[in-house]
Amino acid sequence: MLRFLGQRAAMGLLTIFVTTIAVTLLIHLVPGDPVEIMYAQSQGTTPEQLEAMRSKLGLDQPIPVQYVQYIGRLLEGDLGVTIRGQQPVAQLLMQRLPNTLALAALAMLIATLIGVPLGFLAAYKRGTVLDGLLMVTAIAGISIPHFWLGLLLLFWLAVDLGLLPVAGSGPLNIVLPALTLGLSNAAIVARMTRSAMIDVMSQDFIRTAHAKGLSKGKVLRRHVLRAGLVPVVTVMGLQFTFMMGGAIVVENIFAWNGIGRLALEAIFQRDYPVIQGFILVFATTVVVVMLALDAVYALLDPRIRRS
Amino acid sequence: MTDATETQVAADGDTRQGRAPFFLRLVRQPSGAIGLLIVAVLVVMAIFADQIAPYSPIKMAAGKPLTGPSADHLLGTDEFGRDMFSRIVYGSRLTMQIGLIAVGISLSIGTLIGLVAAYAGGFIEKLLMRSTDVVFSFTETLIALAFVAVLGPSLENAMIAVGIAGVPFYARTCYASALGEEGKPYFEASIAAGAGHGRLLFLHLLPNVVPTMIVIATLGLSNAILAAAALSFLGLGAQPPTPEWGAMLSAGRDFFNRAPWLMLYPGLAIALTVLAFNILGDALREALDPKSRERS
Amino acid sequence: MSMRTRLTSALLALAASTAIPATASAGDIVWARYGDIDSLDPHRATSTLSLQVWSLIYDTLLATDKDGKPVPNLAKSWESNEEGTEYTFMLHEGAVCHDGTPLDANDVKYTVDQAFDEENPSVTKASWGPISAVEVVDPTTVKFTLEKPFVALIPFLADSFSSIICDSNEGKDGFGTSVAIGSGPWKFDSWTKGDQIVLEKNPDYENYGKLADNPGAPYEDRLLITTVPEPQARLAGLKTGAIDVAEPPLDDVAMLKESGDLDIVTAENTGQNVFFEFAVHRPPFDDERARKAVAHATDPEAAISLIYGDLSMPEQCPISRGVFGNDQEFCAEHRPRYDPEKATELLGELGYGPDNPLEVNLLVWTGGKRDKLAEVFQAQLMQVGITADIQMMDIGTMNARVRQENENPEGKGSMDMMTWSWYDPDILYALWHSPGAYRGYTSPELDAMLEETRVLTDPDERRKAVEEVMAYLLEKAIHVPLYTPGWEWVFAVRPEVEGFKVAPFVYPIFSDVKIADEG
Repeated sequence: MLRFLGQRAAMGLLTIFVTTIAVTLLIHLVPGDPVEIMYAQSQGTTPEQLEAMRSKLGLDQPIPVQYVQYIGRLLEGDLGVTIRGQQPVAQLLMQRLPNTLALAALAMLIATLIGVPLGFLAAYKRGTVLDGLLMVTAIAGISIPHFWLGLLLLFWLAVDLGLLPVAGSGPLNIVLPALTLGLSNAAIVARMTRSAMIDVMSQDFIRTAHAKGLSKGKVLRRHVLRAGLVPVVTVMGLQFTFMMGGAIVVENIFAWNGIGRLALEAIFQRDYPVIQGFILVFATTVVVVMLALDAVYALLDPRIRRS
Repeated sequence: MTDATETQVAADGDTRQGRAPFFLRLVRQPSGAIGLLIVAVLVVMAIFADQIAPYSPIKMAAGKPLTGPSADHLLGTDEFGRDMFSRIVYGSRLTMQIGLIAVGISLSIGTLIGLVAAYAGGFIEKLLMRSTDVVFSFTETLIALAFVAVLGPSLENAMIAVGIAGVPFYARTCYASALGEEGKPYFEASIAAGAGHGRLLFLHLLPNVVPTMIVIATLGLSNAILAAAALSFLGLGAQPPTPEWGAMLSAGRDFFNRAPWLMLYPGLAIALTVLAFNILGDALREALDPKSRERS
Repeated sequence: MSMRTRLTSALLALAASTAIPATASAGDIVWARYGDIDSLDPHRATSTLSLQVWSLIYDTLLATDKDGKPVPNLAKSWESNEEGTEYTFMLHEGAVCHDGTPLDANDVKYTVDQAFDEENPSVTKASWGPISAVEVVDPTTVKFTLEKPFVALIPFLADSFSSIICDSNEGKDGFGTSVAIGSGPWKFDSWTKGDQIVLEKNPDYENYGKLADNPGAPYEDRLLITTVPEPQARLAGLKTGAIDVAEPPLDDVAMLKESGDLDIVTAENTGQNVFFEFAVHRPPFDDERARKAVAHATDPEAAISLIYGDLSMPEQCPISRGVFGNDQEFCAEHRPRYDPEKATELLGELGYGPDNPLEVNLLVWTGGKRDKLAEVFQAQLMQVGITADIQMMDIGTMNARVRQENENPEGKGSMDMMTWSWYDPDILYALWHSPGAYRGYTSPELDAMLEETRVLTDPDERRKAVEEVMAYLLEKAIHVPLYTPGWEWVFAVRPEVEGFKVAPFVYPIFSDVKIADEG
């Protein structure tokens, strides 16, 4: 088990390492001079000032040197300052990361609570009309764009009916974005759960249990659910990355103050330090959460636990 | 986002002898027939947009602004009096282009990486697949956003971004499928017979991963269309007055009170298109690999 | 099973742990805007969104009256020497910063010194003019010395660009982010970027010259400035009462006026100018005729009435209503008028026609329905055979891009719908005096004319000089004015909110606001 987790951790570290390189290179891939873009808002900047900023950012150094400098600052928790307004980037991102995590987590909970029972039901009733109906609904659900669903929910529940707040960051404000993200992913969870459960049900020990004459209910409770937990955790892991990605869009519809909204603003404003920081924080978060889920997975799956 | 676990099972597409022809197997399933039908309608709409659309999609004052659906304007008009039906029809052309180009990028690069990794083995295999794993963990949305951030917002850049973002998934699937082929006796026999690298790669491996990749690409179309529409919706894709559905949907929300159809029809169009490719992809998988029926 | 429950409860705990910021209560004014400020430090940003907030937290030496003219504020009077190279300001005694320290000449000197800081000068350094020294004569007297005359200094000191920063901010960690000590009617409490700014009333505030009837502290306790990007969401908030003041969806304004549910306040004398300009160092817009063709081909009046109704109006001058030198009739005589035939003719001379359409990029700042307006201009240009590809972008990106386009001697023709707001014709100097804000059109004779506008202290002489510059810019179609106001100028206000008004250059005033009890 330790070996398995060790491998996963090494992979995660590699991912973060690659991200830091990508992020350093990013600013050089941008068409035009990043320093001039930074000063586009200022009047009467002199070439000397541009030069000074270039050397302050280390952009006049060879790229490997820049990379080492970047890592150095990174280790001190310094992600630079924004171009617009010169605010510390690390602080901005860290302020908002909990909001994004909360949104993704709540949405995952909603998707799991809806998707897993339905997927399980479909697997259990496999081949019946109910199964067919559920799966048709699921595929329709997958096809509805989440940004459209979000807008419809916003206009219907918040603007028209006034049931929920329209924007902001109060405790009720998370409901709409989480519902949007959760609903649009519930269908995927249902499909994945169904195929995972069918796999489990067709495994030998379940057949044996049936053959031993255990009641259907007992087989379900004792064996199927237990064995089924492993694939469900896998599903949740995959879901989490989707949720983080989806959060970027959904946050912008509902003005939920997460890192996705910050990132989109930064893209429009070409605020490269923010974009760089966002990519790094996003990738690191995904790596850490996946690692945590791997650990859960390892605890649940007897084959890994023993190895 | 296509669901990874499911699409990978649809790997083996051989041993077809003794069964009904592929196309028949496809359309015999209700989902296959419906999916194919919708896709066919979309393709016809896209190709013959000039003939089907009663107005130019960018012609202002084709009718009175913000009028509801009527005989003259089947889907009403927008705030400039542009005909929504014509815009939706031309939008289908764009949507097809976006889907095909994005998937084309993912498919060609992904297949190449997957094949080479599976065939070469050793260090190259490790390098390619590990890099793919690393990139895969960034998630498609992040990759697409990063590319648009660097290249700047435009429809072309959105297509490229979505295409690049999809590469790791295609590479992984192709790799898994090709590995399966390599283990088969005919492949080993070819090696024994002294077949060259090119022959092995392109005459033996490639044709055998094609069925899998077709399924992946069909499902991938829905994914790419959805992702590109999301980028346009956020303002990172199509620029006005392009009748791109995601951008139209985004523009329509200003008029939610007075003209809800401006938000409704583009959304429906996206959903229907994505649905069509999704069920067609599922049906394709079943037609190619009936065993998968049990599982999905 | 237990693992799953544990995981679930962990997720729930995470969901519950998000920061819950201040929520509105009685005595709070909630003002919602589409975006947030960039910084609390007046030397670090230039956006209207930032300036509006600074005007509440900080005070300025001078203020503007309702017509946009500079009047005394913190400085009760000022004088300059004959040559206009020395200005002395006499300050009111007893002005206090939010931390209780007195606001005096030292704070003024601190502010200017920060603007000219070697390491990190203000982003508006150039607008402060050729200041060479600031001297604290005594606590209530401060003297500015200039290298050469600069008449735009006075209106500059009335604008929140020149907000007086209390010197107690010096060395404070987080100044501009979590600390902002000013002396304005509202005290800074907290800022959650992207979400909201909380201001508290400054009980010790004394209004020396700002445009408010209230001579002292604001009536209401707190002012919450929240960010709500979606216009329909702002409208919903206004309707339910969660929001007191906000920019409504522009398309719904007519409906709102009719229903009377909300009051509509439009800012006047905003100084905002939206105009076409061109990449002039390469074809086709290096040729005056191509620029004029665009000006003749577009009909701002029709476009604006279609998109904005009566909320905005065509502007004939390169500097808008409310700014010194603006004269609609004078400018209308000199600008190329809407005349598509003339446009076609000019394009023909240049070799463009139905078989050879002129293809250009049209850069536009996102938001405020400018995308829609650009689509109308695009359609108008299409009528004379100009194909304009619209490219939407943030204003900062656009500033950088326009400059790049001007520096690039090759490529597709480029024009843009630029937006500028300023309180003085000196903006024309910033834009068009060589090397030019965007490295665009410059010429020695234009430089000479612009220099005149900076040094003439006699108002009549200066007005003449400004007119000369405007005529030059209009006749050569360098700066093609379109409309004013252009952004963030419409406010919808809840009926129980009394006393809300907007000062020139779009500075909302909250000192007079009283929220009547809802029964």
